[in-house]
Amino acid sequence: MKKFLASQSPLQWALLVGIAIQTAIMMIPLVYMLSTSFKAQTEVFMLPIRWIPNELLFENYTIPLQEKPFLRWFFNSTFVATASTALVVVTSALAGYSFAKFKYPGRDVLFWIILATLMIPLEAMIVPLFILVRDLGWLNTYAGLIIPAGGSAFGIFLMRQHMLAMPDELIEAARIDGASELGIFWRIVLPMNQAAISALAIFSFMWNWNSFLYPLLVANRDEMRTLPIGLASFESAYSTNYPQLMAVSVLAILPVLLGFFVLQNKFIESMALTGVKG
Amino acid sequence: MGRSTVASSAERASLLHTLLGRRLTYRGRQQIWGFVFALPAVILFAVFAIYPILQTFYLSFFDYNMVNTPEFVGLANYQTILGGSVFRDSISFTFFYTIGTYVPTLIIALLLALVLNTKVRLRGFWRMMNFIPVVISWVVVSVVWKLIFHRNGLFNAGLDSMGIFTPDWLLSTAYAPYAIIIPSIWKEIGFYMVIFLAGLQNIPGVYYEASKIDGASIWQSFRFITLPLLRPTITLAIVVALINGLKIFIPPFVMTQGGPAGSTRVMSLIIYQTAFANGRLGRASAMAVILFLVILLFTVLQNRLYGTRRDDA
Repeated sequence: MKKFLASQSPLQWALLVGIAIQTAIMMIPLVYMLSTSFKAQTEVFMLPIRWIPNELLFENYTIPLQEKPFLRWFFNSTFVATASTALVVVTSALAGYSFAKFKYPGRDVLFWIILATLMIPLEAMIVPLFILVRDLGWLNTYAGLIIPAGGSAFGIFLMRQHMLAMPDELIEAARIDGASELGIFWRIVLPMNQAAISALAIFSFMWNWNSFLYPLLVANRDEMRTLPIGLASFESAYSTNYPQLMAVSVLAILPVLLGFFVLQNKFIESMALTGVKG
Repeated sequence: MGRSTVASSAERASLLHTLLGRRLTYRGRQQIWGFVFALPAVILFAVFAIYPILQTFYLSFFDYNMVNTPEFVGLANYQTILGGSVFRDSISFTFFYTIGTYVPTLIIALLLALVLNTKVRLRGFWRMMNFIPVVISWVVVSVVWKLIFHRNGLFNAGLDSMGIFTPDWLLSTAYAPYAIIIPSIWKEIGFYMVIFLAGLQNIPGVYYEASKIDGASIWQSFRFITLPLLRPTITLAIVVALINGLKIFIPPFVMTQGGPAGSTRVMSLIIYQTAFANGRLGRASAMAVILFLVILLFTVLQNRLYGTRRDDA
């Protein structure tokens, strides 16, 4: 054992130093963003780079919030991502349960058609989708932002995989005891699949929070924008005020980062569990 | 039929008959419930996925600008886009981007995962830090890196301090592609690292112990144990990477708008610009069909090559 440790030690140390350097490099852009967000405009491009600004200008954070409806965009993002996620979880759990535990004509065809849409990128159907949402009168509405994002082929697949593993006897026993079908779903099926559901919820929330192309098209009025779209519009209008731009970027990632630090293990697990992303 | 007659007929019927009768209605009820549970998802998919994709194919044969009545033009849209160099250049840049981004990403991610799969100290911390860029939105990534690649930004400050030539990244057709690729690598490493870590953790430790007893070197145990057993994971990662790369949109949209001179115009961006800036929805649909077919081709190809050998990890 001693010999083993001694022979491993240099390698372990080399790995540790290597990964510390690699991680430090990965963090540079974030440190640069944070540092620039407090600078005066004249200080941004000064050489050598000042990592700690001469004076911390907190006004870089407050001025954009007064000039642009960032709080509204933040609310829109939160509301839209939460509602879409709720919809995704409900429709996916219901459909996954149906595809896993019920037998009816056409079941497998439906499942495979839905699964096949995984291969179709949103970018390939964005034109008709936009026309459809426009014709429904849903441009610049929450319905237009939320409902079309309410189904997830990946979510259905994930739910079905997990629900296939539930013992049929449990459901049968509940039926014999006289439980209603909705009652079984609510009191047995959902609690038994909590891990998969929370993975889907995290994944779906993040996907929706960061969604870009679709909200870019269906929400073009300032007050209906989501945060990424608002940020991009702010960027194209104020592209030279780098400190303010970095400040709003910091604000935009703060909630997600906080959520990530709190739930980090769940986050990473759900990523690994899912293996796919939007 | 009155209640009493039902009761008396049930008494008269054989046990088997009653059971069969019950089971039939039970099955019918189950079929209806099953369908009802699937219905919300089925409706959403029919309206917001199946219909738009079919409509994309349909529109690709029409001349349509959102105001006029669509006019059937046969294959003219396809002839226009494939005949000219703009869309073809966009296809090749999309592939250039995908390979340029994901070959380094997957290699770095695999190396990271291998290191983090050893007993290196602070594993959880390194894993968490490397995962941070994954949860940051592409828009923020693009906005920050646009500043980093500014003529006087951080990247050039670094190059300058080492005495290396400093190009104007975002305004040069030769360098702009790399100004899109480097941030993408930065953002994506953590995601694939986690995928590889999950795959590595599925490899039973006894294999390594056995190989150690047999005196295998680190390289040999990587080459003959890790790599073959990680193959399904690597395949999955390649497919996901390919699909994500081919449909990339945000970094060029925010950082360069496809410029300079179309040198960073990926397929999704040219579809967007053709449809919503130039109002040529039919032509954009034809481009979308081609994007769809390219992705389909690679997905099917992957299934053909590896699908049968995959033992689900």
